[in-house]
Amino acid sequence: MSNAFVPVPALLEDIVTETPTIKTFVLRPERPLPFKAGQFVQLELPGLGEAPFTPSSDPREPERIEITILKTGLVTNALHELEPGAILGLRGPFGKGYPVQKLAGHDVLVVGGGVGLAPLRALLYHLYAEPDAYGRVSIRYGARSPEELCFQRQHEEWVAREAVDFTPTIDRPAAGWKGHVGLVTTLLDDLDMDLERTYAVSCGPEVMLKFVTWKLLDLGFAPERIYLSMNRNMSCGMGICGRCNIGTHYLCKDGPDLCYADIKDIPYALG
Amino acid sequence: MKYVDRGGLAFFLKGLAQDYDVYAPRQVGDELVLERVDPDEAQPEVAWNEHRLAESYKPFFFQTGKVVSRWTAEGPQGAAPTRPRALLGVKACDLKALQIVDKVFRDHTFQEPAWCAARESNLIIAGDCTGSADSCFCTLLDDVPWPKSGYDLSVAPSDGGWLVDVGSQKGEAHVAAHPTLFREAPAHAVQARDAARAELKARLEALNARYRTRDPLELSVSKNLKTRIWAKLAATCVQCNACNLVCPTCHCFLLHDVKTPDGSARLSMWDSCFHSGYARMAGGGTPRLQLTERFKNHYFHKFVSFPRNWGVTACTGCGRCIDACMGRIDKRDCLYRLETEWLPSEVLGEIH
Repeated sequence: MSNAFVPVPALLEDIVTETPTIKTFVLRPERPLPFKAGQFVQLELPGLGEAPFTPSSDPREPERIEITILKTGLVTNALHELEPGAILGLRGPFGKGYPVQKLAGHDVLVVGGGVGLAPLRALLYHLYAEPDAYGRVSIRYGARSPEELCFQRQHEEWVAREAVDFTPTIDRPAAGWKGHVGLVTTLLDDLDMDLERTYAVSCGPEVMLKFVTWKLLDLGFAPERIYLSMNRNMSCGMGICGRCNIGTHYLCKDGPDLCYADIKDIPYALG
Repeated sequence: MKYVDRGGLAFFLKGLAQDYDVYAPRQVGDELVLERVDPDEAQPEVAWNEHRLAESYKPFFFQTGKVVSRWTAEGPQGAAPTRPRALLGVKACDLKALQIVDKVFRDHTFQEPAWCAARESNLIIAGDCTGSADSCFCTLLDDVPWPKSGYDLSVAPSDGGWLVDVGSQKGEAHVAAHPTLFREAPAHAVQARDAARAELKARLEALNARYRTRDPLELSVSKNLKTRIWAKLAATCVQCNACNLVCPTCHCFLLHDVKTPDGSARLSMWDSCFHSGYARMAGGGTPRLQLTERFKNHYFHKFVSFPRNWGVTACTGCGRCIDACMGRIDKRDCLYRLETEWLPSEVLGEIH
């Protein structure tokens, strides 16, 4: 019987510093780990623990997986201390991933906050790989300050793409910053998208998701058109250990991206 | 249906110790506890329990602190299964609990290896309830206090000996191995047992009549999720987790990694939905910060989500949580008050 608690060893090949608190870990698992954009893995630091992350890399490259991680807890703090060459463990992938079949033929509004752009980057790779299958892709991304914007090396490339627009914002004015200032929701004020043919996909801190959802509803988005990357403490990854429920949904197997229509009536689902 | 006399059953149980670690209810002081029967004991004493024991059989299938995987110089690998056990004194509610957790740990896309191995290898010798605790309420969940399925053998005292029901091929093989011990049951012994069953069921129904809700529990809990009564129900909860620990169906666990002399090991630790840190995430955010929310989630999971996801209520009516609660919270009473003590709905935000 296969044992889903046993990880696949993965070599930590490279570490890219994204921001003062975010690094991207480039992993080469012992055997390829095919995943769909939005599915997550449990990344283990042997003997210390594991934590759930959605890979930020191209799902078409299952032999080389990038995971972008904010330094924020026991496991992530220790991960940030690592050097290339370490052996880590990977379990998964778990969850359903982004609803790419629903997105097909539609415009996609991608709203990210901070390290929340990480799972969305995997979605962007997926969308870019099949530009004909999807309509316009509009990315609205917020961070606290210019240096906290993730994946800066790729922003120009995203802007240059056809049928893709990318607008970053920072929370407060900063020296040398010429772009937009304000919370990411302010980037939705002048949304020039055809709501009839648009899905919104968002990932970021829960408080951001809440306000983004309010904004989108105000703009006229139907709850069925809003997908949120929900965050809960996921341990087993298989819907059996219990803790990551939102109402009757287990995020680890039913999510981690949930349609707002499915959670809107659940008390406190969005904090 | 078979019949075995008292001496015959004792002889049979002694023989089981050759193949299994036998665990039986035994009298220790004024308590009945599950103890391992020493295979060298000349005449193994079994204190046949009238009703379910204070402890559940959950740890024989799902043990807290169990190593589920190791990572040594040879790489990551799963853990070895435990030795088969023969479990005595298992009651109908215990059997149902195993079947409930089977839904999650076995009859699923992923299988919990230790649970599946123990379900395969353990021998279950169930028994009729011949009495009830004040906290027993299986009949409120429309169950009965005698084993219906999920056992290898099931025994009921009758006519000075024991009636034996065979519930599986494994049980059949054990009975067939002792043709002189087990004989066909006399009809009057079966009639006597059935009469005792009916009598106990009626007694349990009378005991619990005042807790019977108008609506099915799933509807009752789901439609009253937003009332303020929850804060009242949770008022004496001190978050000791005793209800989760004694519950035969509570199965939440946390994978906990530790360093070992030869590498690392992953342990599966029982967890409690009443802990404030139960759902806490890295960075400190927790979706159910208030005890009332966690209390409500516990009931919601057992009586609403579980039946919706798995087709069965995650409660057997064993009442162990009632006995274990130092805040004197009675699940039957909570479910009843939920329906009868109406309080205005909480004012929810625009978005919820």
